[in-house]
Amino acid sequence: MNYFQLFGFDEKFNLDTAQLTQVYQKLQKSVHPDRFAHSSSQEQMLAVQKSSMINDAYQTLKSPLKRAEYMLSLRETPMPNEQASFKDNAFLMRQMELREMLAEVKFADDIDAAVFEANQVLETEFNGLYKTMQIQLAENSAASNQAACEILRKLKFYQKLHIELDRLEDLLFET
Amino acid sequence: MAYSEKVIDHYENPRNVGSLDKNDPQVATGMVGAPACGDVMKLQLKITDEGIIEDAKFKTYGCGSAIASSSLVTEWVKGKSIEEAAEIKNTAIAEELALPPVKIHCSILAEDAIKAAIEDYQSKNDG
Repeated sequence: MNYFQLFGFDEKFNLDTAQLTQVYQKLQKSVHPDRFAHSSSQEQMLAVQKSSMINDAYQTLKSPLKRAEYMLSLRETPMPNEQASFKDNAFLMRQMELREMLAEVKFADDIDAAVFEANQVLETEFNGLYKTMQIQLAENSAASNQAACEILRKLKFYQKLHIELDRLEDLLFET
Repeated sequence: MAYSEKVIDHYENPRNVGSLDKNDPQVATGMVGAPACGDVMKLQLKITDEGIIEDAKFKTYGCGSAIASSSLVTEWVKGKSIEEAAEIKNTAIAEELALPPVKIHCSILAEDAIKAAIEDYQSKNDG
């Protein structure tokens, strides 16, 4: 049983996260240790295993990038090794520029404005890629899944940039 | 996680940080990235007509191990021929810096950066 089936969802990228959380809570209740207080130790152990699987499924389906990666693995799309280097030159040049942009933020005259602007640049570029990935995932052909996989690798760089910007904001505004 | 002394040394005093003129025909640029951690590494080599690397600069956005790996590589490649530089293996980088298993990919990134720069040099000089 895969994570979508476990939650009773269609294998589609777009899903209702509020509904996902509701189903998650219902499923967790059904395997809560209190319900198995008088059961055999084997049944108790099964309930614990089920609970851990429900957790993994929830964490995977809740995060859009993890969900995309999971869908691609269900579709048996060949994925490059996580450790393999990425060599799209134009894309990496842009990543360097964006990193430099973040490094410059703290020297700006108006830091609030610089953070706001950096955030907008990242959001715009992330959303552009994200929408393309949604379309490719919905198409679900070998070629479109491969394309979605490439975009997913790019989106991970943007995810990292977002984390960096959040950290920068914490640093700049905590004093 | 504890970094080795050598990693800390390269991290605190990185060697050869910066950029070379990418329009100089003798300068080759290698760009690589690691999707798993979002690290980006740029390695530039200035190569003489005899095929000797006379200067190297790097710019890396990433963790301490990624910075140390690229800093070390710039020291190692200087004075080497491109053939010798192409022989540098990530295992040697990882060993020199005593990288833990979870940081091996940083040394792979540095090895790939050398390869990417050499490819760039070759494509520049074939054309």
